[in-house]
Amino acid sequence: MSQLVIDALVLGSIYLLFCLGMSISWGTIDILNFAHGGIFMFSAFVASQIVSHVELGLITICVISAVVGAVVSAAIDVLAFQPILRRAKNQRTAELQILIGGIGIGTIPVAIVQFYTLSEPFGFLRSTYETTVHSFGGMRLSSTGLVVLGCALVLTVSIAYWLKNTSHGLALRAIGVDSETAELMGVKRRQLSLLTMGISGGLAGLAGALLTFNLGAITAESGETLLIKAFAIIILGGVGSTGGAALGAMILAFSEVLVLRYTGGGWVDAVGFGLILVVLLLRPQGIFGKKEVRRV
Amino acid sequence: MSDFYFSNIVLIQSTFTVLLLALSIQIQFRMGVFSFAGAAFYGMGSYGVAILVLHYDFGAFSALATIVVICAMVGYLLSLVVQRLNGLYLAMATVAFVMIVTVVAHNGGTLTGGSVGLFGVLTPVEISVPHLLAVCAVVVAAMIVSERGAMGRRIEAVREDPELASAMGINVARYRKMSFVLSGVLGALGGGLNILMMTAIAPENIGFPLIVLALTIIIVGGSRSWIGVLIGALIFTWLPVVLEQVGTYQSIVYGVIVAIAAIFMPGGITGIVTDLYRRRSARSNADAFESEQRLEARAAEEDAAEAAELQAELASSTTPSGGSR
Amino acid sequence: MSRVDRGCRVRILAAIGAAALVLTGCGSGGGGSLADGDLPDQVKVVSVTDQTGTTAYVGSSQLKGIELAIDEINSQDYLGDTEFVLEKRDSASDTQTAVSQATEALTDRNVSALLGPVLSAHAVAIAPLVERAKLPTVFTQSGSEGVVIGDYTYRATAPMETYFVKALERLRDQGARTVSVLYNAGNVTLAGLGEHTIPEGQDEYGYKVLSNTAVQASTQDFSTTATRIAGENPDAVIVLLVGAGNSTAMSQLRQAGYTGPVVGNPAAGAGNLAPAGAAGAGMYWATDFSFHQTAPSSEVFVEAYRAKYNGENPLNYAAEGYDATWMLAHAVKNSGGASREDIQRGLEQVVSEGFDGALGPVTFEGNDMRVEGVLVEWTGSEEVLVEESDVAE
Repeated sequence: MSQLVIDALVLGSIYLLFCLGMSISWGTIDILNFAHGGIFMFSAFVASQIVSHVELGLITICVISAVVGAVVSAAIDVLAFQPILRRAKNQRTAELQILIGGIGIGTIPVAIVQFYTLSEPFGFLRSTYETTVHSFGGMRLSSTGLVVLGCALVLTVSIAYWLKNTSHGLALRAIGVDSETAELMGVKRRQLSLLTMGISGGLAGLAGALLTFNLGAITAESGETLLIKAFAIIILGGVGSTGGAALGAMILAFSEVLVLRYTGGGWVDAVGFGLILVVLLLRPQGIFGKKEVRRV
Repeated sequence: MSDFYFSNIVLIQSTFTVLLLALSIQIQFRMGVFSFAGAAFYGMGSYGVAILVLHYDFGAFSALATIVVICAMVGYLLSLVVQRLNGLYLAMATVAFVMIVTVVAHNGGTLTGGSVGLFGVLTPVEISVPHLLAVCAVVVAAMIVSERGAMGRRIEAVREDPELASAMGINVARYRKMSFVLSGVLGALGGGLNILMMTAIAPENIGFPLIVLALTIIIVGGSRSWIGVLIGALIFTWLPVVLEQVGTYQSIVYGVIVAIAAIFMPGGITGIVTDLYRRRSARSNADAFESEQRLEARAAEEDAAEAAELQAELASSTTPSGGSR
Repeated sequence: MSRVDRGCRVRILAAIGAAALVLTGCGSGGGGSLADGDLPDQVKVVSVTDQTGTTAYVGSSQLKGIELAIDEINSQDYLGDTEFVLEKRDSASDTQTAVSQATEALTDRNVSALLGPVLSAHAVAIAPLVERAKLPTVFTQSGSEGVVIGDYTYRATAPMETYFVKALERLRDQGARTVSVLYNAGNVTLAGLGEHTIPEGQDEYGYKVLSNTAVQASTQDFSTTATRIAGENPDAVIVLLVGAGNSTAMSQLRQAGYTGPVVGNPAAGAGNLAPAGAAGAGMYWATDFSFHQTAPSSEVFVEAYRAKYNGENPLNYAAEGYDATWMLAHAVKNSGGASREDIQRGLEQVVSEGFDGALGPVTFEGNDMRVEGVLVEWTGSEEVLVEESDVAE
């Protein structure tokens, strides 16, 4: 039973790492980035291509992947999301267009990788990193699992701190509450938006590399399944709350593990969707949600 | 002509079932309801008709009618369940609903055929393009009615400014519920007709890809009118055929097209055409206005010249003793 | 409704009408159909398969086999002066596209036969259409029911349950009494094995199933199940997953502490186990083709494949596509004609006689192929043969 707990914690940490980037951009600058899954996978792919020529270690690969993710995400922001926001007539159409734009853009990295791999799995075959398994008290934790747990913990705490206590974080939250007023007060929306998307992309890239290490290999479609789970987590935890995302990720992971263990694999996905519906109907703002849900 | 028809009959059929799918979502958008439930009803329509035909020996028309009624009722119930949600949260809830339908389809055992789905859905009356066109004609007629006149204005009011609409006596909540029912009817029609013609349905044909397809159609075609949706349906049904020539890059090209459309064409194609038309007629109006002004100015000049001449004549013909000024 | 909008709409409708007229002008020309008994200069065959999309690696491998076969048929003058001409359509892993392309093929009277798709979902939608239009179609892979439904539908891939028993036999020979199962319920073939073949084989092969875990096609992480299975300590584990799942499951099983043998399925081939490194070693599975197999006709095929494709080794999908194409060639030769009815008659003869193909000696049950199959094992760095059936000659 306690091994189940460890498995769920590692699974939850993976979900959380994937989610953090989306949570930041959705919670502050209101960009629900559907291309997040594509960026996640594409960064890992680029890293795997580099690794197939040069032997590299765990940290280097993660850094490469994070950098690729940040660059791609920033590019998408500049080329797509900012123009959409500039031209949009009101908030609602802007949201819809960013949604569509994200969907459309998100298919491009997937298509590129499918083209190169023919949808076969890819991984970091020539990395110098070897997984070891640590046993203690009858439970097992692989070194990769440990890295995943550690990264998730450190990053979540850092980001929560950054948003709450630094001036950048404060500015971002101001934009989230009321972007016009924030701009009047001197917050440079465009630069901060770029920064946020860059960080969000970097987190996606890091998550991509770590997931690839954890699973051994991923495919071009790997990002898509995680995308919907990310929604479930953010809605459950509350948009705009990093702690909420962490809690949401753990709740989802534990529920999935229990469902898998005691019923059968077919209903695991339903857990995420069911959670979304239940939360939205009972407590739309999520557990720690700060944004107000618009009423009719 | 008939060669083209039979050779491409699947694409022709698909254009219209996809039109119904996209309309089932667009009709809600037009009323300001940000919901994707239409995709769920399309899936329920396909599977529902397949189940009734395969397992319960229904005929084509009775199966279709039954499923449409069922989906309309489900739509109404759904509207009650989500009545307090709005905007992106409503969208997420309806997406979750669509995905749950997909999971049920996957896990339905022999009823839904599991991961292979259901196949061999053949009915004694073979449903084909004429039936489809008849249904679409009726639907389009209804859309036209809903876009004109008082009804059109009321719908626009409900979308643009619900508070004002409510103040004017329009029951906004009732329009919201009606949008779900209509979405149920249209989605079920599209899905039901689709399975009757394709004879096979699998879980991967329904669900999230339908949402993406409908959204891209609405965005690229234009979200205000059924014409935009028709244009979008035509484009996205036939575009893959065109792109096949591009070979293995086709999915990349597809993604780029959708992205560009979302960024640069917020009103869709109909929006662009309407804008162009407006600008051209505005320019021609402006031209007309200018030339009118010039005519008037010249007329004024001529009048002034005439008046001056008259005055001169008068002045030269008046006697020193009297005479008018 | 303002005058501007109404006028604008009329124009848009007119444009659509004009476009429709233009499109109808470019209809495909229908030639006269081939008379029975003629051997024309060209036999047109259409292939509808996934060159792009999620099953691209299956479809593109199948195509390589098909194209090799067509090269050989033409260069060997197997049909005298008559040549096979291939038209390739990419169904992009989308059912509707596959159905549409198959419909185009069957309405074109110049097309003599169809080499069908690899996905069951596509095949079950296409089968009734080609059967009704009487277009001879040879499917590969497509393991579900509803594919081989009549005189005009054939399948050049033996259903996995027909040769999976070789793995169960080995289990029995190894003395495995208890078995734990993990399978992908989203794949119809693997689900069939997991839900029927394996539980039903308990008496015959002497094992007991301790647990049977079904996961979805989208599941990427198996640590929970690996933990449970390791806890049960079975004599053997059966893992039926596709793609990357195989290497992930092996890694996680080993990490969870299970060190025994693991039975897999052909989807673990093609290097999918490589990312697991040493953890992948010891997985073995029954497949319908391995490039190591020693049947003479298979070795000839592998040589020819390596020659054409730069030393690359063929996957089973390529062997299946190759044999499917040669079935058509044999059919034309048998019947002396290339009309659709000729080919169907010729195929009837092919399936009653069987032949030696890339897959080894091939027989048929109805229109459905049967092969001996072969057991292969992954050593951690490559696939090797475990044993092979005696070639009955």
